[in-house]
Amino acid sequence: MAITGASEKAALQALKASDWHLEGAFDVFYSQPQIAVANTLHLEEVYNRYKEPDADMIMVEGISQLCNDLQVDPQDIVMLVISWHMKASTMCEFTRQEFIGGLQSIGVDSIEKLREKLPSLRAELKDDQKFREIYNFAFAWAREKGQKSLALETAIGMWRLLFAERNWPLIDYWCQFLQVRHNKAISRDTWAQLLEFVKTIDPQLTNYDEEDAWPYLIDEFVDYLKENGLVQHRR
Amino acid sequence: MSGGGPPRKRNFKIEAFKNRVELDPKYAERTWKVLEHAIHEIYNHNASGLSFEELYRSAYNMVLHKYGEKLYDGLQSTMTWRLKEISKSIEAAQGGLFLEELNAKWMDHNKALQMIRDILMYMDRTYVPTSHRTPVHELGLNLWRDHIIRSPMIHSRLVNTLLDLIKGERMGEVINRGLMRSITKMLMDLGPAVYQDDFEKLFLDVSASFYSVESQEFIECCDCGNYLKKAERRLNEEMERVSHYLDAGSEAKITSVVEKEMIANHMHRLVHMENSGLVNMLVDDRYEDLGRMYSLFRRVPDGLSTIRDVMTSYLRETGKQLVMDPESLKDPVEFVQRLLNEKDKHDKIISVAFGNDKTFQNALNSSFEYFINLNNRSPEFISLYVDDKLRKGLKGATEEDVEVIMDKVMMLFRYLQEKDVFEKYYKQHLAKRLLSGKTVSDDAERSMIVKLKTECGYQFTSKLEGMFTDMKTSQDTMQDFYAKKSEELGDGPTLDVHILTTGSWPTQPSPPCNLPTEILTVCEKFRAYYLGTHNGRRLTWQTNMGTADIKATFGKGQKHELNVSTYQMCVLMLFNNADGLTYKDIERDTEIPASDLKRCLQSLACVKGKNVLRKEPMSKDISEDDTFYFNDKFTSKLVKVKIGTVVAQKESEPEKQETRQRVEEDRKPQIEAAIVRIMKSRRVLDHNSIVAEVTKQLQARFLPNPVVIKKRIESLIEREFLERDKVDRKLYRYLA
Repeated sequence: MAITGASEKAALQALKASDWHLEGAFDVFYSQPQIAVANTLHLEEVYNRYKEPDADMIMVEGISQLCNDLQVDPQDIVMLVISWHMKASTMCEFTRQEFIGGLQSIGVDSIEKLREKLPSLRAELKDDQKFREIYNFAFAWAREKGQKSLALETAIGMWRLLFAERNWPLIDYWCQFLQVRHNKAISRDTWAQLLEFVKTIDPQLTNYDEEDAWPYLIDEFVDYLKENGLVQHRR
Repeated sequence: MSGGGPPRKRNFKIEAFKNRVELDPKYAERTWKVLEHAIHEIYNHNASGLSFEELYRSAYNMVLHKYGEKLYDGLQSTMTWRLKEISKSIEAAQGGLFLEELNAKWMDHNKALQMIRDILMYMDRTYVPTSHRTPVHELGLNLWRDHIIRSPMIHSRLVNTLLDLIKGERMGEVINRGLMRSITKMLMDLGPAVYQDDFEKLFLDVSASFYSVESQEFIECCDCGNYLKKAERRLNEEMERVSHYLDAGSEAKITSVVEKEMIANHMHRLVHMENSGLVNMLVDDRYEDLGRMYSLFRRVPDGLSTIRDVMTSYLRETGKQLVMDPESLKDPVEFVQRLLNEKDKHDKIISVAFGNDKTFQNALNSSFEYFINLNNRSPEFISLYVDDKLRKGLKGATEEDVEVIMDKVMMLFRYLQEKDVFEKYYKQHLAKRLLSGKTVSDDAERSMIVKLKTECGYQFTSKLEGMFTDMKTSQDTMQDFYAKKSEELGDGPTLDVHILTTGSWPTQPSPPCNLPTEILTVCEKFRAYYLGTHNGRRLTWQTNMGTADIKATFGKGQKHELNVSTYQMCVLMLFNNADGLTYKDIERDTEIPASDLKRCLQSLACVKGKNVLRKEPMSKDISEDDTFYFNDKFTSKLVKVKIGTVVAQKESEPEKQETRQRVEEDRKPQIEAAIVRIMKSRRVLDHNSIVAEVTKQLQARFLPNPVVIKKRIESLIEREFLERDKVDRKLYRYLA
């Protein structure tokens, strides 16, 4: 475990597979492609490259540098996916624990390896279950520290990012509506329910039922669409 | 016969006839002839010459000797022949004599039949049952039926004659009712089937067409009231007819014919008749017509519901116009009075004309509830009405009158959906009444509170009662203050303070106002005194709610006592030190907020008869460039002049908005409390059920908006009192 940096479970598996011969175990271990080698020392190094000089965190500058090195835009949604893996508590900062733990769970120990992994990370957004988790994670992550709700501007930004992946035709109207009619922060319940709305209700609202206990903001959005003739509503 | 018994001398035996004594057939024939002759004699009214005993014996013998059948057949054929003869004589009768002849012959037949039956009693009792033949009396009736009534020549003539007579009577002719009675009784005697099939059915059909035609005529030429009178008359006639000469069983049938033809078929046309229909009757309070309509329509299916529906829609329409009429909205007291008048009017109609029918009462209530709530100022206006009554409207009224008026107002109150709005206004108005001392009767005030408490519970009135308590306490406090501090105060102005507990009284902001020095001094003394005995409390002067009495001397030395508001007093006192002041001066010195100041100056300078100040220029409105002078030339017939106005008035638009907003804000915690209560006991509940339960719980105070309930639920989710179910969006769970 100390040499390979593998987890206890993996180590045991490898030893078992090789009949408890240590050398054989190494062979087994290294030959298994899905158990990626994450070298903790490397990770520490990487972390230190980006961390703040006078704090034990990676902040805006470090992240900016990181994105540079990864050759991605800081606004790129893949950063969200990475943050999710890291279980980061706030956007624009990573603690040591979050950073290292995150890279480990992704299964990389260097920037180059991380860069290679980017496409597969992006692909995770296509998975329904993972997308939901990432979406719900985004709410708490994008919040201001100590706030219960998500500021509207931030929320809109996040939504645009997320729903670009999912291609929701009503995203523009939604953002428009919020700016014109709502102008307040977004609650967690509304955030979560919106995903359900996007997934189940078709863009022409033919299967929208006002008895369905959608959050009132969504009810108002539906009214907004109807008032402005943006959907043909047939009942 | 031999048999047991004590042994006795065998002298002779009693034995049955060894030889049957056969009746000589000739004897039978002879006997029959005697009887036959008797029958004819009976029909010829010659019965007196006959011996009953002999005839009975003859019949008896015949039956005994097994000639029962001959006897019976003979009877049948003789009677038949007889009846055929009778039939001819009846047919021969002309015109009006037809019925009389029939009746007379019927009487005869009955008498004869009686006698014949008596004579043939033995046969009736022995031969008839064993041979299953019809008993004599019944036979007689059946023969009459078959050969007389149903004889082709007589049958239709009989029925037509009867029906013609009835028709004639309906048209006003006088007919022989006794004879009719006899005939119909005859038909009944012949068997109910005869009466019904041969007469009654036709009677009903003919009556139906008669009334169908007549009702059509009437409805073309009569107005509703008169038509109903006629219908009622016809109905009574028919019932009378039945009692006089028809069988009792016909009553229900003929009345239902009349009801159908005259009422049911024309129900809608009658009710909606222009200028005379139901609505007109209601408008004109035509109790008699309405009562008649009610009792007639009650007899037909859907009759009453028709009346009720029309009445309901009329009420709703009238009520709606009343509450939406911009004219009536100008005067709230008038508005409510009109509502009360409508209620009184319809209550009277229901009690006098509709027999206090509960379903009508309910229709009235639901209509009132509907339209009173169409105008969202109704709660405010009802409070203003009560305010008006408690200020002056009840002067001179007895205690009972007061109770009556209050009870009527409570009835309107019950119809309100937004009772919490009423509470808010009532509090405001009560505050003004109490503080200006303008209540006509303390008892009436308290009585009203008691009624509200009975209706809505303790919470509704606890603050109102608090206000009364404050007034009393203040009185006691002032007495004590003056008792203790009178030397200290000396000649200063007399102060009368009302100490108001903040929670009980309607919240008012307390804008700044610079009191004149003399006033300030005495106020501070009071404050010191009060805080001395009530440590830890905070006192804030509400200068916008006070009044003052000032003595003023005018140009020619006339002295007047002016009753003014506190603001006005501050303004006037300035003129002790200056003859003329600009608006800006006054504003600066008093620091009264602009809109209040303008209103205050307006009432001092621009109102005829109360213009203790003179304004330049003499325009109607107050502008910031105006200058004010003490009006030396002020005159008034009264020594005491009242200038201040602290009367409750209906709110201006912005005030109304504000009040409504406050009400909405107050409702939010109530809704949330209801939601939490419900969820705490149910644990898990779906959205629609929550909305229904909340509405039910709050309906005594107001009707919550489902959208507002939804927002409150989401707010509770945000604050982690509730959570949504992960799978079913509509389900909510209580988080302990």
